[in-house]
Amino acid sequence: MSTGTGRHGAAPRGGNLQIRKRSRIRWTPILFLLPSVIVFIVFKYYLIYSAFHISLFNYNIVHPPGRFVGLGNYLVFLKSSTFWVAMKNTMIMFLLSVAVTFWVPIVQALFLSQIRRANAFFRVMYQIPAVLPVVAGALLWKWMYNPDRGLFNYLLGKVGLGPYGWLNDPAMTKFAIVLPGFFASGGIGVLLYYAAIRSIPAELFESAKIDGCGPWKRLFFIVMPHIRFVILIQFVSFMSGALLAFDNIYIMTQGGPADASLVVSLLIQRSAFEQANFGMSAALSFFMFVVIAILTTIQFKLEKEQ
Amino acid sequence: MKPQQGKRRGWIALMILALVASLAAGCGSKADNGGGSGGNAAGNEKKTEQNGEQPKTVEITVWDKPAPDSPLRAVKEEIFAAFDAAYPHIKVIHADETQTREKFMAAVAGGEQPTVFRPSYPDAPTYIQSGIVADITDLFDDHPEKGNFNEGALSVVTKDGRIYGVPNDMYATGLYYNKKLFANAGIAEPPKTWDEFVETAKKVMAANPGTIGFDILGMDWADWHFEYYVWQAGGDLTERQPDGTVKLMFASEPAVTALQFYKDLKWTHKIVQSNVLQSYDENSKDFYTGKTAMILGASDQFYGFVANGMNPEDIGFAPYPVGPAGVGPAQTGGSFWAISPTATPEQREAAFEYIMFMMSKDVVEQTLQFQVDNGLGVNPLTVRTDVDMTKYAGSMPADVIDAINKASENVQLEYFLKGQLTPYVVKAIQKVLLDENADPRAELEAAQELAQKEVADRYNQEVLSGNTQ
Repeated sequence: MSTGTGRHGAAPRGGNLQIRKRSRIRWTPILFLLPSVIVFIVFKYYLIYSAFHISLFNYNIVHPPGRFVGLGNYLVFLKSSTFWVAMKNTMIMFLLSVAVTFWVPIVQALFLSQIRRANAFFRVMYQIPAVLPVVAGALLWKWMYNPDRGLFNYLLGKVGLGPYGWLNDPAMTKFAIVLPGFFASGGIGVLLYYAAIRSIPAELFESAKIDGCGPWKRLFFIVMPHIRFVILIQFVSFMSGALLAFDNIYIMTQGGPADASLVVSLLIQRSAFEQANFGMSAALSFFMFVVIAILTTIQFKLEKEQ
Repeated sequence: MKPQQGKRRGWIALMILALVASLAAGCGSKADNGGGSGGNAAGNEKKTEQNGEQPKTVEITVWDKPAPDSPLRAVKEEIFAAFDAAYPHIKVIHADETQTREKFMAAVAGGEQPTVFRPSYPDAPTYIQSGIVADITDLFDDHPEKGNFNEGALSVVTKDGRIYGVPNDMYATGLYYNKKLFANAGIAEPPKTWDEFVETAKKVMAANPGTIGFDILGMDWADWHFEYYVWQAGGDLTERQPDGTVKLMFASEPAVTALQFYKDLKWTHKIVQSNVLQSYDENSKDFYTGKTAMILGASDQFYGFVANGMNPEDIGFAPYPVGPAGVGPAQTGGSFWAISPTATPEQREAAFEYIMFMMSKDVVEQTLQFQVDNGLGVNPLTVRTDVDMTKYAGSMPADVIDAINKASENVQLEYFLKGQLTPYVVKAIQKVLLDENADPRAELEAAQELAQKEVADRYNQEVLSGNTQ
């Protein structure tokens, strides 16, 4: 093994190793990442820790932290039938949301990928529902759902249907809350799916066509596998949003009628601001964090296995 | 290559440091005085240096600033200026008075509780138990005006002989009815019993096609009006025990009777609106647009109906029809001034001075006169016993004033611990109003069982252990 100078006149081997070690630590990307890491730690991870800490106490907001109860808050809500009603409603509304809204941006992106003329126009149109404030949208839908004076019963009445209770009917209220999401599902998701579809090499489609592959087969065997990872990422984000949905339920029904739309996020709000029970509220929040973390992990594991 | 790389790295590092520094500065800067930090235990006292005998300047934060479009803004600003002139050593920072209970709790949790705030009466038990309002017994008892406040209103903010606030306003509730719709049905007098109430509603609906006899309140405040029917049936939804604990009585006979009556109004007599879950504002709208003949309401709503186009001569008010127990008490509600328990002794005294200035006879009358002069209408009830409200009646008909005064002679506070028990009672009410087959007794028993486990047991444990939460 030569110990003389290197091929390009570099320093002896031992000295090269030292220089290579030093240059392995790339400070530039670290420094660029540092602000966002700090923000994440302060505004995400510290808050998660703080929520867990508060959940261990019968929290006194005037003289914190109050009496230590350990896992007492968790045991109380796990034994509460109100909580299980809320949990059941949360899961039902999550599944309804998946069925009614999750697939809409994918379909919109597929449509976009097929049109050339006015493509930019439709891309903009798909963004508009997503920029409407949630509260304004929920209020509009609430008025349209009014069983006596709302637009829906008026129009349905013209064709001999209804009147329906909508938000006043315990059997319909969950569907009525989720339905507006069908029309407001555009947004950034459409663009992500569209970009993923556009990145599929055109040659794949051409060779598939030559081999006699119809449009449905091209969709399921070429397009869907290529955008699977984007679907996974979108689903993880969608899942936490659906399981923690609050704004539209609070505006439309406040958990009624008769707890038919009571969800865990509403329980969290009630515990804190109506019952001044911040320890319980934090326990519920941390519990939901754990549930969503487990579901996300399962999701990623399944994707890995596939 | 290397010197250039090094120079570039240097600039990059400098940019990043500047970014991090500005981020840290942004996070570290204090919030604007919108929420205020008047309750900060460290206080914000500044010593005046000019004269050793001058009182120290004390800064307090008060959530009483009217909204920009409030019709009372002008008079409030005059009053604020008058206080500043009379008490130059007390610096008052006024913050938005319309901030919600959620914002208030967030402020308390964040250590930004205002020095002075005005919660509603139903929140009093929870706030007193949680230690969110200061004990001001010593200050109140020493004040020369202590005897000029309505006893009923004072009792709301008193617990075990200790006083936790100063009443700000009060209203009494009763039955509003549309005199014009009544006249069309040949009815001159409002109903006085439950049976008369049902018959009156049916006659009015028959004589005025398309109208509703009575708008019932079934939304998420449903227990607010439902409690009156429980009182009329001779009971209440809860009872405060001598030791301060709460006893739930959702499944008592009066409550079951009341809920059965609710069910009958909807399914048997069919005199209520089809959308039983519509909001309180929508019920009011039905009334002032003449769509419904009767609603329950508060004495301070009269001028709201007038402002929305209703003829004052068409508005009638009456005490509640009595129920099977032969009683029909009105509910008294309102808000009270409270002081933060984290205020320093100096802030506490300054806050109390401010409150008693705002509730002085002169200031109360100044506000009332402003309302009359500007056609704003006046709530005929006041918490001060030495203010003659007949001078400020405005366009309110004499019979309405008489009825409000009569209703306020027999008043009751909202059921104890209502703030925490509402969701349980409302669920039972909504079940009965939406499902013809729902059994009132079963629903109330289920509600009581849940509320006992999830709220009452915990509350009672805290009270008995002497904890303020």
